[in-house]
Amino acid sequence: MNLTVNGVAQEIESPPLTTLLDVLREELGVNSPKVGCEQGGCGACTVLVDGEPRRSCLVPVAAVDGADIATVEGLGTPEDLAPIQAAFVHHYAAQCGFCTSGLLMAAKAYIDGGGTDDREAIAEALGGHVCRCTGYVKILDAVAAAARGDEFDISVTAEGQYTTMHSGGET
Amino acid sequence: MKAVGARLPRYDGVAHVTGRTVFVEDWDVPGVGWVKALRSPHPHAGIEKLDPAPAEKIKGVRAVVTAADVPLNVYGHLSALGIPGDEPLLADTEVRYQGQPVAVVAADDEEIAQAAVDAIEVEWEVREPLLDVRKAFDPDAPQIHQWGNWYPHFEAEMDHRQIRKGDIDKAFADADLIVQGVYRPAAIEQLPIETQVCQVVPEANGRLTIYSCTQALYFSMGVVAAHLQQPLNKFKFVGGTVGGGFGGKVDTATETLCCLLALKSGKPTKWRWTREEEFLCSSTRAPWHMEIADAVTKDGWILGRRMVTLHDSGAYARFSPYGVTKHSFHHTGAYTIPNLHFDGWVVFTNRTPTSAMRGFGVTSVSFATETHMSRIAQELGMDPFEIRLKNANRIGDTSPNGVVYTDPSTVPTILAIADHLGHELPADYRTMTTEPRSGDLLPEHLVAQLGNVEAH
Repeated sequence: MNLTVNGVAQEIESPPLTTLLDVLREELGVNSPKVGCEQGGCGACTVLVDGEPRRSCLVPVAAVDGADIATVEGLGTPEDLAPIQAAFVHHYAAQCGFCTSGLLMAAKAYIDGGGTDDREAIAEALGGHVCRCTGYVKILDAVAAAARGDEFDISVTAEGQYTTMHSGGET
Repeated sequence: MKAVGARLPRYDGVAHVTGRTVFVEDWDVPGVGWVKALRSPHPHAGIEKLDPAPAEKIKGVRAVVTAADVPLNVYGHLSALGIPGDEPLLADTEVRYQGQPVAVVAADDEEIAQAAVDAIEVEWEVREPLLDVRKAFDPDAPQIHQWGNWYPHFEAEMDHRQIRKGDIDKAFADADLIVQGVYRPAAIEQLPIETQVCQVVPEANGRLTIYSCTQALYFSMGVVAAHLQQPLNKFKFVGGTVGGGFGGKVDTATETLCCLLALKSGKPTKWRWTREEEFLCSSTRAPWHMEIADAVTKDGWILGRRMVTLHDSGAYARFSPYGVTKHSFHHTGAYTIPNLHFDGWVVFTNRTPTSAMRGFGVTSVSFATETHMSRIAQELGMDPFEIRLKNANRIGDTSPNGVVYTDPSTVPTILAIADHLGHELPADYRTMTTEPRSGDLLPEHLVAQLGNVEAH
């Protein structure tokens, strides 16, 4: 079997019924998708399969042979964050960080699909994701900001700290 | 003052959004073995037979640990405070809640570990469980704990937490009416998205490296060291990333048994609880049974409160005595009641042990007291804001355990809520401050309250 993971072609050696989540984490060392419930209930393992958000804990790898897989590792880097990542930092949408990867990928799919800053539409798109820290408000703020195209300059300083600058939209 | 009032970025925000935060299971430990537990299917049972030999014979099984392998099996979460332990790390002669661990297995992979757990031979003598705190005191209730059905080790060997303040009988004799309520908030699972997980690596120098999701790293280190009867310098804990805790990762859930399995097998071990295990047998916020009777005047003064609390501790004490202590100190909420008669018990049942969760002990009583304030207002036909402002804590008032308030925030908080909601208040309420009472707000029954507290 073969997958393209974040643009890199990978030959897969795990047995065909291995979940996509286990293939990513155990075989390929792609750790951003998290193990939260292993039954499709929490959303922490969400990745994009050919652009669509999927629960990787429920997907046997054989079912997505040949697919294009996108995870958080393929978004921006700390020095050059993708807009949705910068919005999550600026709006404090990541607290403990465990649900964040899945939410980022679902949010990316929502925005790539033409989603707007309508909060009800965002809530519908992210409805399958459980977050116990934020109360969701900050996540809605971040996704709405990214959907509007608000820009954030998240600069990493020499000490490894970073500052955020915001332009457009409401803080 | 660079931080107060400033909008500072999270120090870990960029790592979170780039997938670079290393949670416990993200540490790559070569050759790590999986752990699974044999758990009790019964809430209350004797263990008639426990034979791990069939599991040990399965290919790929690295080690099986039972109570016989634990150097110090019983160690309490409050042992460091001199309170004797009550909970075994692994059950030996009996189980007291459904899901209680009896044996753990480390194996080459998850499937083998589960097969080995299924192969352990165990026979139960099923006993009647105690599941309702209200029945724990009945003469014919099942006796479920070595200390009896409630915790007996409060200060001075009191078997419950009690507070006495003022003259409660006079308060009730003087009352225009008595307002009663029973409040029973249910257990709540903390539900972190990262379940209980740890990885333990036996190092060449004889030490153990423990990757832990604990919220209380040094506390966990002490608990592990006590069970293993080893000095603290044998353990290197690596923590700091917690995929949600909310109190659910204060108790030491996985580390000790993973250490024992790593030592017995000589190989690294990983134990990640399933979501089902997390719901079934990780500690929860306690369910509480609270009964309140208040002596009230028709103009809205609360003269006295009688309160009985039954805290459902589940099968073992853990942090519950601490929870009931906090609960007792806060049982008047943000209000001052001059005459008090409080009794609170930590009651054992055959339910999952309860423990820390975000202000445990206080949140339950806050729910009860605030609901009760509104109930009193309703019975008197009073504005619920006004009755709260009237009885609000003021500078110089005393808490149920005798602490004199120097800067209580009740009055400004309630006024701010009223402002926010656009709730109209009469002028004498709208201009209230937190300064000591005087004039109409210092009725005779409040004058003598200071320093009149007896708390145990």
